[in-house]
Amino acid sequence: MREPMLILIFGMGLVTFLPRFIPMAFLSRWIFPEKLKAGLNYFPVAILSAIVFPTFFTGGNQVEIQPQYLLASLPVFLFAWKVKSLWGSVLLGMAVYWALGFVM
Amino acid sequence: MSPFKDGVKGALPIVLGYLPVGITFGILARKAGLTSFEVGLMSLFVYAGASQFLAIEMISKGVPNFSIILATFFINLRHILMSSNFSVYLRDVRIPILGVLSAQITDESYAVAISKLPRMKNRPHYLLGLQIISQLAWVGGSVMGALFSSLSTSTGWGLPFALPALFICLLVLQIINAHHFWVMVIGGILSVFFKWALPGNWYILLTALFASGMGMMIEKVWRKNS
Repeated sequence: MREPMLILIFGMGLVTFLPRFIPMAFLSRWIFPEKLKAGLNYFPVAILSAIVFPTFFTGGNQVEIQPQYLLASLPVFLFAWKVKSLWGSVLLGMAVYWALGFVM
Repeated sequence: MSPFKDGVKGALPIVLGYLPVGITFGILARKAGLTSFEVGLMSLFVYAGASQFLAIEMISKGVPNFSIILATFFINLRHILMSSNFSVYLRDVRIPILGVLSAQITDESYAVAISKLPRMKNRPHYLLGLQIISQLAWVGGSVMGALFSSLSTSTGWGLPFALPALFICLLVLQIINAHHFWVMVIGGILSVFFKWALPGNWYILLTALFASGMGMMIEKVWRKNS
Protein backbone atom coordinates (compact mmCIF):
# COMPACT_ATOMS: atom_id res chain seq x y z
CA MET A 1 0.00 0.00 0.00
CA ARG A 2 1.26 3.42 -0.99
CA GLU A 3 2.14 5.71 1.87
CA PRO A 4 0.83 9.03 0.40
CA MET A 5 -2.57 7.38 -0.17
CA LEU A 6 -2.59 6.13 3.42
CA ILE A 7 -1.79 9.65 4.64
CA LEU A 8 -4.57 11.08 2.46
CA ILE A 9 -7.16 8.59 3.71
CA PHE A 10 -6.31 9.08 7.38
CA GLY A 11 -6.01 12.85 6.92
CA MET A 12 -9.46 12.97 5.35
CA GLY A 13 -10.70 10.62 8.06
CA LEU A 14 -9.40 12.86 10.83
CA VAL A 15 -10.85 16.11 9.45
CA THR A 16 -14.25 14.48 8.95
CA PHE A 17 -14.22 12.79 12.37
CA LEU A 18 -13.42 15.85 14.51
CA PRO A 19 -16.40 18.03 13.45
CA ARG A 20 -18.64 15.00 13.95
CA PHE A 21 -17.19 13.98 17.32
CA ILE A 22 -16.26 17.14 19.26
CA PRO A 23 -19.73 18.70 19.56
CA MET A 24 -21.36 15.41 20.49
CA ALA A 25 -18.72 14.57 23.08
CA PHE A 26 -18.08 17.92 24.70
CA LEU A 27 -20.97 20.26 24.11
CA SER A 28 -24.52 20.14 25.19
CA ARG A 29 -25.39 23.45 23.59
CA TRP A 30 -23.11 24.97 21.01
CA ILE A 31 -23.54 28.40 19.54
CA PHE A 32 -22.23 28.24 16.00
CA PRO A 33 -20.44 31.44 14.84
CA GLU A 34 -22.91 33.13 12.48
CA LYS A 35 -20.23 34.29 10.04
CA LEU A 36 -18.74 30.81 9.63
CA LYS A 37 -22.23 29.39 9.21
CA ALA A 38 -23.00 31.90 6.44
CA GLY A 39 -19.77 31.09 4.62
CA LEU A 40 -20.22 27.33 4.93
CA ASN A 41 -23.69 27.75 3.51
CA TYR A 42 -22.13 28.57 0.14
CA PHE A 43 -18.99 26.44 0.19
CA PRO A 44 -20.51 23.24 -1.27
CA VAL A 45 -22.13 25.15 -4.17
CA ALA A 46 -18.88 27.00 -4.83
CA ILE A 47 -16.59 23.96 -4.85
CA LEU A 48 -19.02 21.85 -6.90
CA SER A 49 -19.25 24.66 -9.48
CA ALA A 50 -15.46 24.68 -9.66
CA ILE A 51 -15.54 20.94 -10.38
CA VAL A 52 -18.46 20.93 -12.83
CA PHE A 53 -17.95 23.90 -15.16
CA PRO A 54 -14.30 23.47 -16.17
CA THR A 55 -15.09 19.94 -17.44
CA PHE A 56 -17.03 21.57 -20.30
CA PHE A 57 -13.83 23.15 -21.56
CA THR A 58 -10.45 21.81 -22.58
CA GLY A 59 -7.56 22.76 -20.35
CA GLY A 60 -4.26 24.29 -21.36
CA ASN A 61 -3.61 27.62 -23.03
CA GLN A 62 -6.59 27.54 -25.35
CA VAL A 63 -10.04 27.36 -23.87
CA GLU A 64 -12.30 25.35 -26.15
CA ILE A 65 -15.76 23.96 -25.55
CA GLN A 66 -16.10 20.17 -25.32
CA PRO A 67 -19.50 19.76 -27.02
CA GLN A 68 -20.15 16.15 -25.92
CA TYR A 69 -19.75 17.07 -22.24
CA LEU A 70 -21.71 20.30 -22.56
CA LEU A 71 -24.65 18.74 -24.44
CA ALA A 72 -24.84 15.71 -22.14
CA SER A 73 -24.91 18.00 -19.09
CA LEU A 74 -28.05 19.90 -20.15
CA PRO A 75 -30.59 17.08 -19.62
CA VAL A 76 -28.78 16.11 -16.40
CA PHE A 77 -29.18 19.65 -14.99
CA LEU A 78 -32.87 19.56 -15.86
CA PHE A 79 -33.41 16.03 -14.51
CA ALA A 80 -31.50 16.70 -11.27
CA TRP A 81 -33.49 19.88 -10.71
CA LYS A 82 -36.90 18.25 -11.34
CA VAL A 83 -36.39 14.72 -9.98
CA LYS A 84 -33.54 15.20 -7.45
CA SER A 85 -32.21 11.66 -7.89
CA LEU A 86 -28.44 11.00 -7.74
CA TRP A 87 -28.59 7.55 -9.26
CA GLY A 88 -31.05 8.62 -11.97
CA SER A 89 -28.88 11.59 -12.92
CA VAL A 90 -25.80 9.38 -13.29
CA LEU A 91 -27.64 6.84 -15.46
CA LEU A 92 -29.25 9.54 -17.62
CA GLY A 93 -25.93 11.37 -18.03
CA MET A 94 -24.10 8.18 -19.04
CA ALA A 95 -26.86 7.22 -21.52
CA VAL A 96 -26.95 10.65 -23.20
CA TYR A 97 -23.14 10.87 -23.32
CA TRP A 98 -22.94 7.37 -24.77
CA ALA A 99 -25.64 8.14 -27.39
CA LEU A 100 -23.95 11.41 -28.35
CA GLY A 101 -20.80 9.42 -29.04
CA PHE A 102 -22.48 7.95 -32.13
CA VAL A 103 -23.49 11.26 -33.68
CA MET A 104 -20.49 13.42 -32.80
CA MET B 1 -39.63 -4.02 18.32
CA SER B 2 -36.29 -3.23 19.98
CA PRO B 3 -34.87 0.24 19.28
CA PHE B 4 -31.88 -1.31 17.49
CA LYS B 5 -34.12 -3.25 15.10
CA ASP B 6 -36.24 -0.16 14.66
CA GLY B 7 -33.08 1.67 13.60
CA VAL B 8 -32.14 -1.11 11.16
CA LYS B 9 -35.59 -0.79 9.61
CA GLY B 10 -35.20 2.98 9.36
CA ALA B 11 -31.93 2.45 7.49
CA LEU B 12 -33.52 0.59 4.57
CA PRO B 13 -34.27 3.64 2.39
CA ILE B 14 -30.73 4.87 3.11
CA VAL B 15 -29.30 1.49 2.07
CA LEU B 16 -31.19 1.69 -1.23
CA GLY B 17 -29.63 5.10 -1.81
CA TYR B 18 -26.10 4.26 -0.65
CA LEU B 19 -25.57 0.90 -2.39
CA PRO B 20 -25.71 2.12 -6.01
CA VAL B 21 -23.81 5.33 -5.25
CA GLY B 22 -21.21 3.26 -3.31
CA ILE B 23 -20.82 0.92 -6.29
CA THR B 24 -20.34 3.94 -8.56
CA PHE B 25 -17.74 5.29 -6.15
CA GLY B 26 -15.87 1.97 -6.13
CA ILE B 27 -15.76 1.78 -9.93
CA LEU B 28 -14.63 5.38 -10.37
CA ALA B 29 -12.08 5.21 -7.54
CA ARG B 30 -10.45 2.19 -9.20
CA LYS B 31 -10.37 4.20 -12.44
CA ALA B 32 -8.62 7.00 -10.55
CA GLY B 33 -5.92 4.54 -9.48
CA LEU B 34 -6.96 3.43 -5.98
CA THR B 35 -6.69 -0.25 -5.06
CA SER B 36 -9.81 -2.09 -3.86
CA PHE B 37 -8.33 -2.12 -0.35
CA GLU B 38 -7.81 1.64 -0.42
CA VAL B 39 -11.39 2.10 -1.64
CA GLY B 40 -12.73 0.10 1.33
CA LEU B 41 -10.42 1.90 3.75
CA MET B 42 -11.56 5.32 2.53
CA SER B 43 -15.26 4.43 2.79
CA LEU B 44 -14.66 3.08 6.31
CA PHE B 45 -12.60 5.95 7.70
CA VAL B 46 -13.86 8.96 5.75
CA TYR B 47 -17.48 7.96 5.11
CA ALA B 48 -18.53 11.17 3.40
CA GLY B 49 -19.91 10.64 -0.09
CA ALA B 50 -19.45 14.02 -1.73
CA SER B 51 -15.91 14.55 -0.46
CA GLN B 52 -14.87 11.01 -1.41
CA PHE B 53 -16.00 11.61 -5.01
CA LEU B 54 -14.32 14.99 -4.93
CA ALA B 55 -11.13 13.39 -3.57
CA ILE B 56 -10.82 10.81 -6.35
CA GLU B 57 -11.49 13.54 -8.94
CA MET B 58 -8.71 15.62 -7.38
CA ILE B 59 -6.39 12.60 -7.06
CA SER B 60 -6.75 11.86 -10.78
CA LYS B 61 -5.99 15.53 -11.53
CA GLY B 62 -2.84 15.37 -9.41
CA VAL B 63 -4.03 17.80 -6.73
CA PRO B 64 -1.75 17.63 -3.66
CA ASN B 65 -2.99 15.79 -0.55
CA PHE B 66 -3.07 18.96 1.53
CA SER B 67 -5.62 20.66 -0.75
CA ILE B 68 -7.80 17.54 -0.81
CA ILE B 69 -7.80 17.29 2.99
CA LEU B 70 -8.56 21.02 3.34
CA ALA B 71 -11.49 20.78 0.91
CA THR B 72 -12.76 17.70 2.77
CA PHE B 73 -12.59 19.61 6.05
CA PHE B 74 -14.65 22.55 4.77
CA ILE B 75 -17.25 20.39 3.05
CA ASN B 76 -17.89 18.36 6.19
CA LEU B 77 -17.80 21.15 8.78
CA ARG B 78 -21.60 21.18 8.51
CA HIS B 79 -21.64 17.97 10.59
CA ILE B 80 -20.91 20.19 13.61
CA LEU B 81 -24.53 21.30 13.46
CA MET B 82 -25.92 17.75 13.36
CA SER B 83 -23.53 16.51 16.03
CA SER B 84 -24.51 19.39 18.33
CA ASN B 85 -28.16 18.61 17.81
CA PHE B 86 -27.64 14.94 18.71
CA SER B 87 -25.48 15.83 21.72
CA VAL B 88 -28.42 17.32 23.59
CA TYR B 89 -30.09 13.90 23.68
CA LEU B 90 -27.00 11.76 24.34
CA ARG B 91 -25.48 13.56 27.29
CA ASP B 92 -25.03 10.50 29.54
CA VAL B 93 -23.78 8.07 26.88
CA ARG B 94 -20.19 6.86 27.34
CA ILE B 95 -17.44 8.43 25.20
CA PRO B 96 -16.47 5.28 23.20
CA ILE B 97 -20.11 4.80 22.16
CA LEU B 98 -20.31 8.50 21.27
CA GLY B 99 -17.19 8.00 19.17
CA VAL B 100 -18.91 5.34 17.09
CA LEU B 101 -22.18 7.28 16.88
CA SER B 102 -20.55 10.52 15.82
CA ALA B 103 -18.21 8.96 13.24
CA GLN B 104 -21.26 7.67 11.39
CA ILE B 105 -23.25 10.90 11.19
CA THR B 106 -24.38 11.67 7.65
CA ASP B 107 -26.94 14.07 6.18
CA GLU B 108 -29.21 11.12 5.49
CA SER B 109 -28.96 9.41 8.88
CA TYR B 110 -29.53 12.77 10.56
CA ALA B 111 -32.58 13.43 8.42
CA VAL B 112 -34.06 10.03 9.29
CA ALA B 113 -33.15 10.15 13.01
CA ILE B 114 -34.31 13.68 13.68
CA SER B 115 -37.97 12.66 13.91
CA LYS B 116 -37.05 10.16 16.65
CA LEU B 117 -34.78 12.45 18.67
CA PRO B 118 -37.04 13.20 21.67
CA ARG B 119 -37.61 9.48 22.27
CA MET B 120 -33.90 8.72 21.90
CA LYS B 121 -32.80 10.35 25.15
CA ASN B 122 -29.64 8.55 26.36
CA ARG B 123 -30.66 5.39 24.55
CA PRO B 124 -28.39 5.28 21.52
CA HIS B 125 -29.56 1.89 20.22
CA TYR B 126 -31.89 3.30 17.58
CA LEU B 127 -29.16 5.55 16.19
CA LEU B 128 -26.59 2.71 16.35
CA GLY B 129 -28.81 0.38 14.33
CA LEU B 130 -29.66 3.07 11.80
CA GLN B 131 -26.09 4.21 11.24
CA ILE B 132 -24.24 0.88 11.36
CA ILE B 133 -26.46 -0.55 8.64
CA SER B 134 -26.14 2.64 6.58
CA GLN B 135 -22.35 2.62 6.71
CA LEU B 136 -22.29 -1.12 5.98
CA ALA B 137 -24.18 -0.37 2.76
CA TRP B 138 -21.71 2.38 1.85
CA VAL B 139 -18.56 0.34 2.54
CA GLY B 140 -20.06 -2.83 1.02
CA GLY B 141 -21.23 -0.97 -2.08
CA SER B 142 -17.91 0.72 -2.71
CA VAL B 143 -15.90 -2.50 -2.25
CA MET B 144 -18.33 -4.32 -4.58
CA GLY B 145 -17.91 -1.58 -7.16
CA ALA B 146 -14.12 -1.70 -6.81
CA LEU B 147 -13.99 -5.50 -7.24
CA PHE B 148 -16.49 -5.43 -10.11
CA SER B 149 -14.54 -2.76 -11.96
CA SER B 150 -11.34 -4.81 -11.85
CA LEU B 151 -13.23 -7.64 -13.61
CA SER B 152 -14.53 -5.43 -16.38
CA THR B 153 -12.13 -3.55 -18.62
CA SER B 154 -14.83 -1.64 -20.46
CA THR B 155 -14.51 2.13 -20.52
CA GLY B 156 -17.53 2.59 -22.77
CA TRP B 157 -21.21 2.90 -21.94
CA GLY B 158 -20.88 6.55 -21.06
CA LEU B 159 -18.72 5.83 -18.01
CA PRO B 160 -16.56 8.94 -18.58
CA PHE B 161 -19.66 11.04 -17.88
CA ALA B 162 -20.71 9.20 -14.69
CA LEU B 163 -18.74 11.46 -12.38
CA PRO B 164 -19.61 14.76 -14.15
CA ALA B 165 -23.29 13.76 -14.03
CA LEU B 166 -23.05 12.95 -10.32
CA PHE B 167 -21.40 16.30 -9.59
CA ILE B 168 -24.05 18.15 -11.61
CA CYS B 169 -26.76 16.51 -9.53
CA LEU B 170 -24.93 17.20 -6.23
CA LEU B 171 -24.54 20.82 -7.36
CA VAL B 172 -28.21 21.20 -8.30
CA LEU B 173 -29.30 19.68 -4.97
CA GLN B 174 -27.32 22.42 -3.18
CA ILE B 175 -29.21 25.23 -4.98
CA ILE B 176 -31.80 26.13 -2.38
CA ASN B 177 -32.35 29.83 -3.04
CA ALA B 178 -31.37 32.63 -5.44
CA HIS B 179 -28.12 33.29 -3.51
CA HIS B 180 -26.95 29.73 -4.17
CA PHE B 181 -27.82 30.13 -7.85
CA TRP B 182 -25.66 33.24 -8.18
CA VAL B 183 -22.80 31.59 -6.29
CA MET B 184 -22.99 28.81 -8.89
CA VAL B 185 -22.86 31.33 -11.77
CA ILE B 186 -19.95 33.23 -10.19
CA GLY B 187 -18.17 29.97 -9.32
CA GLY B 188 -18.64 28.66 -12.86
CA ILE B 189 -17.15 31.75 -14.48
CA LEU B 190 -14.33 32.08 -11.93
CA SER B 191 -13.32 28.43 -12.17
CA VAL B 192 -13.02 28.47 -15.97
CA PHE B 193 -11.02 31.70 -15.75
CA PHE B 194 -8.76 30.46 -12.92
CA LYS B 195 -8.15 27.16 -14.69
CA TRP B 196 -7.01 29.05 -17.75
CA ALA B 197 -4.98 31.64 -15.84
CA LEU B 198 -3.29 29.57 -13.14
CA PRO B 199 -0.99 26.55 -13.25
CA GLY B 200 -1.91 23.22 -11.69
CA ASN B 201 -5.16 22.75 -9.85
CA TRP B 202 -5.36 25.78 -7.63
CA TYR B 203 -8.54 26.82 -9.42
CA ILE B 204 -10.69 24.43 -7.37
CA LEU B 205 -9.82 25.68 -3.90
CA LEU B 206 -9.46 29.33 -5.02
CA THR B 207 -12.86 29.31 -6.71
CA ALA B 208 -14.44 27.65 -3.69
CA LEU B 209 -13.11 30.30 -1.30
CA PHE B 210 -13.80 33.28 -3.61
CA ALA B 211 -17.28 32.21 -4.68
CA SER B 212 -18.46 31.32 -1.17
CA GLY B 213 -17.13 34.68 0.02
CA MET B 214 -19.10 36.35 -2.77
CA GLY B 215 -22.16 34.44 -1.57
CA MET B 216 -21.81 35.98 1.89
CA MET B 217 -21.47 39.45 0.34
CA ILE B 218 -24.52 38.99 -1.91
CA GLU B 219 -26.53 37.89 1.12
CA LYS B 220 -25.45 40.96 3.10
CA VAL B 221 -26.20 43.41 0.28
CA TRP B 222 -29.59 41.92 -0.53
CA ARG B 223 -30.61 41.90 3.11
CA LYS B 224 -29.71 45.58 3.40
CA ASN B 225 -31.75 46.50 0.32
CA SER B 226 -34.86 44.56 1.20
